[in-house]
Amino acid sequence: MAENREPRGAVEAELDPVEYTLRKRLPHRLPRRPNDIYVNMKTDFKAQLARCQKLLDGGARGQNSCSEIYIHGLGLAINRAINIALQLQAGSFGSLQVAANTSTVELVDELEPETDAREPLTRIRNNSAIHIRVFRVAPK
Amino acid sequence: MSNAKERKHAKKMRNQPTNVTLSSGFVADRGTKYHNGGGRHFHQAQKQEPFPGTSRQRQTKMTHHSPVDPDVKEQSSSKIMFKKKGGWKAGPEGMSQEIPKYITASTFAQARAAEISAMLKAVTQKSSNSLVFQTLPRHMRRRAMSHNVKRLPRRLREIAQKEAEKAVHQKKEHSKNKCHKARRCHKNRVLEFNRRQKKNIWLETHIWHAKRFHMVKKWGYCLGERPTVKSHRACYRAMTNRCLLQDLSYYCCLELKGKEEEILKALSPMCSIDAGLTFAAVHCLSGKCQGSVLLYRANRYPREMLGPVTFIWKSERTPSHTSESRQLWIWLHPMLKQDILEELKAACQCVEPIKPTICTPGPLLTTSEEKSQTELPDEKIGKKRKRKDDGENAKPVKKVIGDGTRDPHQPSSWISAATGIIISDLTMEMNRLRLIGPLSHSILTEALKAASVQTVREGEDTEKTPHHWWIETCKNPDSVSLHHRQEAIFELLGGITSPAEIPSGTILGLTVGDPRINLPPKRSKVLPNPEKCQDNEKVRQLLLEGVPVDCAHSFIWNQAICKNVTENKISDQDLNRRRSELLVPGSQLVLGPQESKIPILLIQQPGKVTGDDRRGWGSGWDILFPKGWGMAFWIPFIYRGARVGGLKESVMHSQYKRSPDIPGDFPDCPAGVVFAEEQAKNLLEKYKRRPPAKRPNYVKLGTLAPFCCPWEQLAQEWESRVQAQEEPSVASSPSGEDSDSRRDKLPCAPTPENTDLWSDEGGTSLSSCSEPREAMDTECPARVGTEWVACQDATGSLLCVLRSRKWLKQLSTWCGPSSRDKRAARRASGSGEPAPTRAACLPLLERFPRALVWVSLALLRKGSPEPHSMICVPTEEDFLRLRQDQLYCGPQESKHSDPFKSEIRKQKERKKVEKRQNKQAPTEREGLAGGPPAAGHQALTLGLWSGPLPGVTSHCSRVLLGFVTQGDFSMAVGGGEALGFVSLTGLLDMLSTQPAAERGLVLLRAPASPQYRFARIAVEV
Repeated sequence: MAENREPRGAVEAELDPVEYTLRKRLPHRLPRRPNDIYVNMKTDFKAQLARCQKLLDGGARGQNSCSEIYIHGLGLAINRAINIALQLQAGSFGSLQVAANTSTVELVDELEPETDAREPLTRIRNNSAIHIRVFRVAPK
Repeated sequence: MSNAKERKHAKKMRNQPTNVTLSSGFVADRGTKYHNGGGRHFHQAQKQEPFPGTSRQRQTKMTHHSPVDPDVKEQSSSKIMFKKKGGWKAGPEGMSQEIPKYITASTFAQARAAEISAMLKAVTQKSSNSLVFQTLPRHMRRRAMSHNVKRLPRRLREIAQKEAEKAVHQKKEHSKNKCHKARRCHKNRVLEFNRRQKKNIWLETHIWHAKRFHMVKKWGYCLGERPTVKSHRACYRAMTNRCLLQDLSYYCCLELKGKEEEILKALSPMCSIDAGLTFAAVHCLSGKCQGSVLLYRANRYPREMLGPVTFIWKSERTPSHTSESRQLWIWLHPMLKQDILEELKAACQCVEPIKPTICTPGPLLTTSEEKSQTELPDEKIGKKRKRKDDGENAKPVKKVIGDGTRDPHQPSSWISAATGIIISDLTMEMNRLRLIGPLSHSILTEALKAASVQTVREGEDTEKTPHHWWIETCKNPDSVSLHHRQEAIFELLGGITSPAEIPSGTILGLTVGDPRINLPPKRSKVLPNPEKCQDNEKVRQLLLEGVPVDCAHSFIWNQAICKNVTENKISDQDLNRRRSELLVPGSQLVLGPQESKIPILLIQQPGKVTGDDRRGWGSGWDILFPKGWGMAFWIPFIYRGARVGGLKESVMHSQYKRSPDIPGDFPDCPAGVVFAEEQAKNLLEKYKRRPPAKRPNYVKLGTLAPFCCPWEQLAQEWESRVQAQEEPSVASSPSGEDSDSRRDKLPCAPTPENTDLWSDEGGTSLSSCSEPREAMDTECPARVGTEWVACQDATGSLLCVLRSRKWLKQLSTWCGPSSRDKRAARRASGSGEPAPTRAACLPLLERFPRALVWVSLALLRKGSPEPHSMICVPTEEDFLRLRQDQLYCGPQESKHSDPFKSEIRKQKERKKVEKRQNKQAPTEREGLAGGPPAAGHQALTLGLWSGPLPGVTSHCSRVLLGFVTQGDFSMAVGGGEALGFVSLTGLLDMLSTQPAAERGLVLLRAPASPQYRFARIAVEV
């Protein structure tokens, strides 16, 4: 999952930092199938590409290969997700196709009070996400 | 006969007793005295008989004439026999002394008979301490002779038989006086277990743990330290991807009951808003959330820390009664309990103990058992006794539930007349299990099912049924609707994939059915159910707002109900019997109204909350339920695929969360000091067990304190160091350029000679110090004037750890590197905090002259740090080389000289001399033994610094900043990570002098290595 780096200045400007501390919560996750890949900005790009390639190719004799994989990217990682999908396509000599979907993910920011008298607050922030389906087509 | 032969014989006979001598063949005529049984000497030479003897002998001969002949005959025959064997001969000197003329037959025969019987006895009775077959010569021994008598020669069999019987008999006496089968019988086993848990408290899962874990006795409990299987990595994976289960029932719970204002008023001096939220935080006070707080001695913040605790307020069911009696549970580590309980009692003025019968049902339960236990061993245990015993104790022996070590007469609750607050100690009255990891939701929702609402049929007496409290509850429609709402929320949890998504510290109360009933037939692994994961409005609301306040209500707060639930538990045996009676094997067991209803409390534990990466790692749920139900909840969780961790895993958990471990990482609280001392002792023992050549020589490596960290001394030295620095730098500008020249001037500021000068004055101010060990090491360099000591007295010289959130935030921005994170740099430049200037730090330093800061360190390149590693300040040259060489690992510490080596050698020699002297004159030993220790020589250990430590900061080539308390290769980060404390003064000094690009870089050195490695320091709030 991408590091959800929003420009902090916007949030902090509205709040008194003396009274609240901002804590970002993890995005809501759905259970993962084996062919779901969440792209992040921390792991090496090549490693993530290789992982996708491996999933598509399967084992030594082509067993356990997935006919389609889903690459998810959130926020900053959207670029990278697209990049991975395109690289996969380019390296497949036309046997792979991509289909992209975009969505909006609601993220929760927790505001922890610094004084006893205040209640903790939560805010919802939206972030864009991309879900790319990479699938095999029969070569003609 | 040659002279040489005679001499040889004399040599041979030297050690023989004078009256019995073995003669060899050549001394046939030399003869020796033979002592006969009658006390007279008789002589074989018959020829001498006719010669006149003494008058007395003649008289005896006269009186007893007749029996002479047989005697003589016998004598002659014996003489022949002896002669044949080259045997006994009368010596010539005996001949001259007394020669019996005749011998009385009866007395002589009596004497012989006694002799013969003695000899026979000696033959049959072996004198040596060995077994019969051991006396056999080696070539006659056979395998398994000790087991099989028939392998022995026939003449020895009888003796061996006797021996074997004796051995069996002896063994029986040593053993448990019962056969294996009897010992395994349930009743005896329970008795035995009850006896064994009198000294150390057993958790309810003890037997389960003891089969699978390395057990340790710690803090008065028997706890599983680590699994016997190799599972370090597996436990990490369980925490990250699956679920790790821990039994935290050893945590202590203190209950405060009373008016809200009174409790808050009493507790407010013990915590400070400066160090985080207190007991009065709004969301905690309502009972919606668990809070955590750092406790100090009343009004002593920031010094005299007592320890970190978590607390839960009981939620009010109706918000109108605010001033009504409220309940507060404080959960704490058992090591902190003694101090905190005393302080709480003092703060609430609770002095009057309440009779334990009123508040805690636990001791009552144990008293009857203890009686039956103590009766048993006093009396003889035979068959008769056993039967009688069975008759007496017709009712089955009860297992100890809860605290088996507690003295029933010791009060466990106290009341205050002035404030009306009741403090009770609820230790071991509840079980606490912790589930860590994303699968904990699935496991919880799979294993636990909310209790079914029970309706009463007409004419049934509710008082008599075991679970009448639940029936009573179900009569109230409000309670039923609350129960349904709680159930709905609990079911929603199953659709949330990680506990980190829920607001931290959320509390959910629930009443569940017996978890043993829907136990899967085999151990399996649950997987999150995708069908449940529907993204609907309810889930969203739960994630945003958490559990509503009224759903936090649970019957576990009610002592009477808890007691009822504990007592009315259906035993496993009963449950299994009913299960076997089912018509279709394996079908669902329906107990109906007899099924127990257990009130539980679920508390969300936030995972990693500080820092930027891996947020929410290690989050999970704690589940509280009444005592007695430990195994009933434990097994269902394991059958759903939870992996169990021990103490080691909880240390790993806190390390990867980068949170301080209790009590090891609280050097300013008494429990932390005790812990450090114990650890140092263990490490020292371990170190001494190795031969000197096979262990690191810490003196040569320049490691002064490899086993314990001298925090006090470190903080003090840094304080004096900076003060000494300031004096010359007042005139010049406090910029970073001249720092190196300044540092070069005082690499050896405190010298050991100064120690003694100031120890007296320092000692008086430190007499109230909680660390007597470190008070010894107090030293103030001579440069610092007396007025400094005086002002130090005023501020209080005790060590403290910086826990003020405001300052920690400030520090964390100062520490942050400006080059790595662009956004952080922009922020830093925007807010105008490029570097900590002296002016900015001054208020902080004035308030906390001797403070430590909790920091986390991430290694830049290679290396995995160890506990007690040293955190040092890099020099300008190190940075230069780091910039030039991408692969530069770090500088090396040069070898130090060992000033103790010659002393140790001298001591050894002295010891040798002493030993020799002792050998010669053992009487002198006392005088000598008192000598050397009195001269002031403790036993020196090769490779360890002895005596008071010299200046710790400037002992090595790089200036010491602090120590690592936890450090390892972190599987979460994929590199070395360490946590530790540094001196606040030192940290600020270092940060102010470092260039912006390399700010926050330090050097780490393991105690047994000369290699320094680069690490980045970070203060996380």
